Amino acid sequence: MRWVQSVSNRLRSLFRKDSVERELGSELRFHLERQVEENLAAGMTPQEARRAAVREFGGVEQVKEECRDTRRVSFLETLLQDLRYGARMLRKNPGFTVIAVLILALGIGANTAIFSMVNALLLHPYSFPNLDSLVRVWETRGMEEGFDARSVAPADAADLFSGTDVFQNLATYRDQTFNLSREGNVEPIFGESVSAGFFDVLGKGPRLGRGFVQTEEQPGFERVAILGYGLWQRRFGGDPGILGKTIKLNGRDHSVVGIMPPKFSYPVPSELWVPLALSPAEKADRAQLTTMALGRLKPGVTADKANAALASYARRLEQEFPKTNSGRSATALQLRKELYLYSLPLFSLLQIAAVFVLLLACANLANLMFTRMLGRQKEIAMRTALGAGPRRLAQLFVSETLLLSLLAGAAAVSVSFWSVRLLRTSISVEWTKWVPGWDGIQVDSSVLGLTILLAVAVGLLFGFATVLHTGRVSLGQSLKESGPGSLTRSRARLRSVLVVAQVIFALVLLVCAGLTIQGFVRLASMYEGFQPGSVLDAEIGLPKNTYSDGKKITSFYQQLVHSASALAGVKEVALATNLPASNVNNDMTLFTIEGRPATKANETPSADLLIASPDYFPALRIPLMAGRLFSESDNAVVERVTIISRSMADRFWPGENVLGKRIKLGAADSNDPWMKVVGVVGDIRQNWWNPAARPTIYTSFLQSPQSGMFVMLRVESNASSYAAPLRDVVRQMDAGVALVAVETLKTQVVDSIGIIRILGILMGVFGLVALMLSSVGVYGVLSESVAQRTRELGIRLALGAHPRDLMKLVLGQALKLTGIGLVIAVPISFAVSRVMANLIFGIVAADFAVVAGFTLLLVAVALIAGYFPARRATRVDPLIALRYE
Amino acid sequence: MTKPTDLVQGTLDLLILKTIALEPMHGWAIAQRIRSVSNNVLQVNQGALYPALHRLEQQAWIQAKWGESENNRRAKYYSLTRAGQKYLKSEESNWERLSSAIGLVLKTV
Repeated sequence: MRWVQSVSNRLRSLFRKDSVERELGSELRFHLERQVEENLAAGMTPQEARRAAVREFGGVEQVKEECRDTRRVSFLETLLQDLRYGARMLRKNPGFTVIAVLILALGIGANTAIFSMVNALLLHPYSFPNLDSLVRVWETRGMEEGFDARSVAPADAADLFSGTDVFQNLATYRDQTFNLSREGNVEPIFGESVSAGFFDVLGKGPRLGRGFVQTEEQPGFERVAILGYGLWQRRFGGDPGILGKTIKLNGRDHSVVGIMPPKFSYPVPSELWVPLALSPAEKADRAQLTTMALGRLKPGVTADKANAALASYARRLEQEFPKTNSGRSATALQLRKELYLYSLPLFSLLQIAAVFVLLLACANLANLMFTRMLGRQKEIAMRTALGAGPRRLAQLFVSETLLLSLLAGAAAVSVSFWSVRLLRTSISVEWTKWVPGWDGIQVDSSVLGLTILLAVAVGLLFGFATVLHTGRVSLGQSLKESGPGSLTRSRARLRSVLVVAQVIFALVLLVCAGLTIQGFVRLASMYEGFQPGSVLDAEIGLPKNTYSDGKKITSFYQQLVHSASALAGVKEVALATNLPASNVNNDMTLFTIEGRPATKANETPSADLLIASPDYFPALRIPLMAGRLFSESDNAVVERVTIISRSMADRFWPGENVLGKRIKLGAADSNDPWMKVVGVVGDIRQNWWNPAARPTIYTSFLQSPQSGMFVMLRVESNASSYAAPLRDVVRQMDAGVALVAVETLKTQVVDSIGIIRILGILMGVFGLVALMLSSVGVYGVLSESVAQRTRELGIRLALGAHPRDLMKLVLGQALKLTGIGLVIAVPISFAVSRVMANLIFGIVAADFAVVAGFTLLLVAVALIAGYFPARRATRVDPLIALRYE
Repeated sequence: MTKPTDLVQGTLDLLILKTIALEPMHGWAIAQRIRSVSNNVLQVNQGALYPALHRLEQQAWIQAKWGESENNRRAKYYSLTRAGQKYLKSEESNWERLSSAIGLVLKTV
């Protein structure tokens, strides 16, 4: 522990200068006085004694200065000196410096970029205080609940809060689209009806004004609103005078009581909040899961503990209310983790790939460094001869490599500012506004911290590797040698190992990249089946107060279809409750097959439910497999009909004719009417994360009207130009109805798989970098080996070897190195691709051809990289080679 | 007074370490002890002694502690650290090797 003592001494001299100085003074004074005493004892007069002592001592100040010198923090000074020297060395070899910095910057930059996404989306998706204690709470009904279907029954929510001892507070809320009318035009706003405690649970209150109070949860008192910052700026010019004024939402006056701070949006992309005023009947409802819930856990309560408490309380509710709650359980999930299900595998893949790129870059740079060290052997030997100990040399190398890696880190950071912005803006806001934390993708302090950490770690690693590597350099031999340094056997082996490692990293990365890109292409082409380029879509939410019953809703939509169909160039007009590639799961429903009732509530089968108009299937090019499609005559007064997807027919009626069979929505005891299956249609892919075809029940919109629908126009050409005519049609029918998100289905598709595209592009870039670096690696090692063996090659030529033989010799070495790498890498690639196929299920599939293809590619690249050194080998002039020293 | 035998730096370190190996001492006593033990041959100059002491302390071969001196005053006492004890041993054997080698050369040539 000598160095601890030593460092603490140095730090003391550095930071406690005054007391050190005082001590030095009194130490020397003591010496003088002691000498004076001694002289007095020897019989001198006091004056003489003093003078003799001072004379003997010499210059006090001089001694002090020398003492101070020894205390100076010399390692800091030598460090600066080394850094200056390192900078000079790097400037002297600009080629090496640029290449080394580039390679490292690629490796570090890849990690910086990916980590900025992981940091924003997975680690800090929301900026709420004490995020870890915020949980989403929902009830499960024994079927796979989609991301969007995580809801609770209002009465259950109240009981789960009061009956368990885990929540500090629990808020309920409900998505709602508002038509905000102002000065004659209507803008649809994503908003939320929330219980009074909503903002308290989140821990963020309004920036201006107040939150909601308990009394505003009473029906009749709920006409107040809180505006999002963005909406306030956009529509009201940031005027604080809006507080207390009224705005018109869905045709009703609401007074503005608060403005939220910038960037607050929960749940995304809400911009408007009103109180959730449930009627007493709604509050007592247990049958339907109609609200969402968000809880703040009590301090010290973990999500696991909350889950256990919820599950056990849900069992009590089951016993108490068997009619509504049987087969139902309750669960909680940390808000932060809500998006993990889909994004964690993607980002883990990217982050791991980025680490691989860094490892590859390191292996590559290591080779470069060792070559360079070869050229510096003499310098090192000289330094050693002049008395530089191993520690001094180590400090020199470490400061050089540190300088290099910090430069690379700086390059990576400056590029990442730009690349991260590119990443963030490469997907349209229409999609990214649904992703919590997306706007937070930036180079912030933690990203910078990681970059610096990586740079320092890599710098130290290389520094010490170089020290270990040169530690074995024999002093005498290096000084004696006059030719280029000799390539020792162990060094050659080390370099070969590094090349083999590069080949391994490269193949694994290439295979991952290939599989991802293949997956993206497959996904994109699957959506191409809808021919989305010539479809315009828009969302409509009819205000509930004016469209209060099914009849009014149906007649509005029928008229809309009628008028839109009349537009020139429109081929079909379709309505449906969801769009393909909307990144929103379909509603899920339990259903009962006639004659096959489930014996237990939780064994009732479930399926996706989509309400559609007759033209939905032809408009989206969904093929009819059997039976017929809906028609205008399948209306509210005749027998209910349904169309099911092929996978549903295959699963529940395998080998049977399903046409004419009857099903109803809900469990065996539900009051829903029986519906006759009249047709079977092809499966569609709803969202990228649901790869398997899902059993789907389609019902006719004429028989089950719904106030919110998507309208789709299949047109002959130029779909986006139909946005204005469609708006006009709607405005003429009802000026109080707004169209949301009018865009082509193509845009929707492209945006919805934007994240997969980014994944593909990033993986592709990583793959290319891998290919490039590994070919440079093979080239470098072979070039050096040819240079080292010039003499041997010359002798071979002189003894009559054919140039072709030499070519074979060098290429053989290239193939051997690559071959060893590939033999190790192929099984790893297979394993990795299987893991990937499991993780990113439905997008990536393990594929033998991809592995084989990239294996061949790497062999080809090795041959090309080896060809140039090989050609040099064949051109060796035996005479020159023999003289070559 | 003629300039005392110049002590090579390493040698002075060795002398200091050896001197304080017995008991903690302050600078003045170290100089006295070296002089008297060497029969006044080795006169340690203060200008060399204190920088050497401070350097050895920096390198943590020795440690310093303020204590009461024989004349009841506060003085800085130096003693060996554990690392210093080991260092002293290896330096002693180095010295012996060197001096016997020099002796051999002087005798035979």
